[in-house]
Amino acid sequence: MQIRDYVLRRLLILPVLIVGVSIIVFALTRIGGSPIGIYLSHEMSAEEVAELEARFHLDEPIPVQYVYWAGGVLSGDLGWSGVAAAPVTEVFPDKLAATMELAVASAIVAVTLGIGLGTFAGARRDRFPDHVTRVVSISGAAMPLFWFAILLLIVFWVYLGWFPIGRSDAQIFASIPHPTGLYTVDALIAGNLTAFRDAVWHLVLPALTLGYGATAIIARMMRSSLVEELQEDYVDAARAKGLPERLVLRRHARRNALIPTVTVIGLSFGFLLQGTVVAEIIFRWPGLGRWMADSVLRGDQATIMTYVLFTSVLFLVVNLVVDVIYAYLDRRVVLGT
Amino acid sequence: MDVTERLPIPPAPPSESALRVRARRAGELTANVLSNPTTLTGLIIILLMISMALLAPWITVPNTPDPTQMPRDWGAIAVPPGSPGHPLGTTNTGGDVLYGVIWGARTSLRLSLIVVSITVTVGVAIGSLAGFLGGRIDEILMRIVDVFLSIPELIFALAIAAVLGPSFRNIILALAVVFWVKYARIMRAQVIHVKQNEYVDAARVIGDAPLRIFGKDILPNSITPVIVQATLDMGNIVLVGATLSFIGLAEAGLAEWGVLVSEGQAGISAGRWWASTFPGMMVFLWALAFNLLGDGLRDVLDPRTETSR
Repeated sequence: MQIRDYVLRRLLILPVLIVGVSIIVFALTRIGGSPIGIYLSHEMSAEEVAELEARFHLDEPIPVQYVYWAGGVLSGDLGWSGVAAAPVTEVFPDKLAATMELAVASAIVAVTLGIGLGTFAGARRDRFPDHVTRVVSISGAAMPLFWFAILLLIVFWVYLGWFPIGRSDAQIFASIPHPTGLYTVDALIAGNLTAFRDAVWHLVLPALTLGYGATAIIARMMRSSLVEELQEDYVDAARAKGLPERLVLRRHARRNALIPTVTVIGLSFGFLLQGTVVAEIIFRWPGLGRWMADSVLRGDQATIMTYVLFTSVLFLVVNLVVDVIYAYLDRRVVLGT
Repeated sequence: MDVTERLPIPPAPPSESALRVRARRAGELTANVLSNPTTLTGLIIILLMISMALLAPWITVPNTPDPTQMPRDWGAIAVPPGSPGHPLGTTNTGGDVLYGVIWGARTSLRLSLIVVSITVTVGVAIGSLAGFLGGRIDEILMRIVDVFLSIPELIFALAIAAVLGPSFRNIILALAVVFWVKYARIMRAQVIHVKQNEYVDAARVIGDAPLRIFGKDILPNSITPVIVQATLDMGNIVLVGATLSFIGLAEAGLAEWGVLVSEGQAGISAGRWWASTFPGMMVFLWALAFNLLGDGLRDVLDPRTETSR
């Protein structure tokens, strides 16, 4: 019952928040000078300018302009991207696929490493591995992504030459079709192992960069909740019945310790989303983040606004899903009170 | 120690003035904070950074006419660390890395102080208003806060700075718009909690005016988590600010860490690691130090929230 009410409440607030975000985004387009600035030139007469303004409804009151704008967004009109020299909606899917592939790869890195490190440290409280993990997780919050990425680049690209930058080798890219836009998946569909290896190889450095911060957050939470769980009575009971410590950890303590960790996995997703901008610039990854960065520098408003709107909605939805999962997993608390 | 064994708390000697008590408590607090080695490390790094920032005009030769701009030594382009006159080397365009590192501390100190003071003031004001008044005002203010929290920090700041146009001043503005929200939320929760205390009722019964109750009883008792958050944000703001200027939203040639890392990027493929490594490390150390201090302060000031350690 309580879970259902909670989910319902959250679902009802979601559209309100999305409308709120869209108002902020709309306000930003009006602060940054005339929204039709890119269409204007010095040779235009006053009448021509007025005609353009009328065509884009700029002669109407601001709230009316918002309605026109929001209607356009909802019907799939996201404007013209000066950077991509194409409508935003046309370029968006390819860029999204590139970013999603990277985001999923780094999420895999972060969740595996984070939970692994956290468990390892929590089970060895106040011993050497614990201290090492602590340093990793504290430095994670303070690590400038752009610096970490450049360090990886210097070591693994410039000096060791182990990993490439960019998204794929041009020849290999041309050798297989790309129905999904996710190069690893495309390579698997084509059954081409060389292409698969190439796609994974290109993913390693950016995924490590992006995953680092999230790994730190997850490891920290996992460690502390495991330490807490290990002090519970049921752990003593499991030990008393003669269960080996390894199984006590795996079957009992770790499962319960994962519950609070779920929430920070959601939190770290926001971290990951933001990081794509920097990681994609440095590793020349042709995704949404790099498109956003280029647009920011060249004043491509349509792209900037699409990006902000898209990431915020994604962020909100992911957080909602995570909270619901948490409420579901942690039923004993909700129902116990 | 078992609760029942606890000795009764001795009453404070009546002769001790309020001011004295405060001074004594502040002393105890400082000793407590300093007794933790990681916190102390953070504090030492911060003190070194601040002295570097303040002494910048004396430990370097300020660039003329504008010392916040990188000086260019066209006779020593891309020289490695240890070169005469350039202990940390130079960039591809002859910028002295050491100069950028030192003046970058000054830029970062200015950035974080300005943004923290603006955001704390605005956030505390709005949060207190919401928490103290409650009702519909609270509801409206908190929905606005929720909307602001829906947009990921860096992306929000990036969009604002982009719309305002690339300049360091606009980075400051963008960060101020983004960072006040957390304080509003923290302060509101605190005020609602503190408001329920008996001493607040007592003050009301005596007939104190609401504003006086707020200033005398509520504000001082709610401010601690705000101080902790402000300490953490002194680091976070430089982290996000440097990221924005790395992306290219500050003026090129500004003596700032993010700008310098970006400038150094051009030499990386040629194996010139130094121009990006040193300024980036400064951002890391700066953020790390304030994180360590913030964590330490939280442990001491706010014993209810146990940090994971």
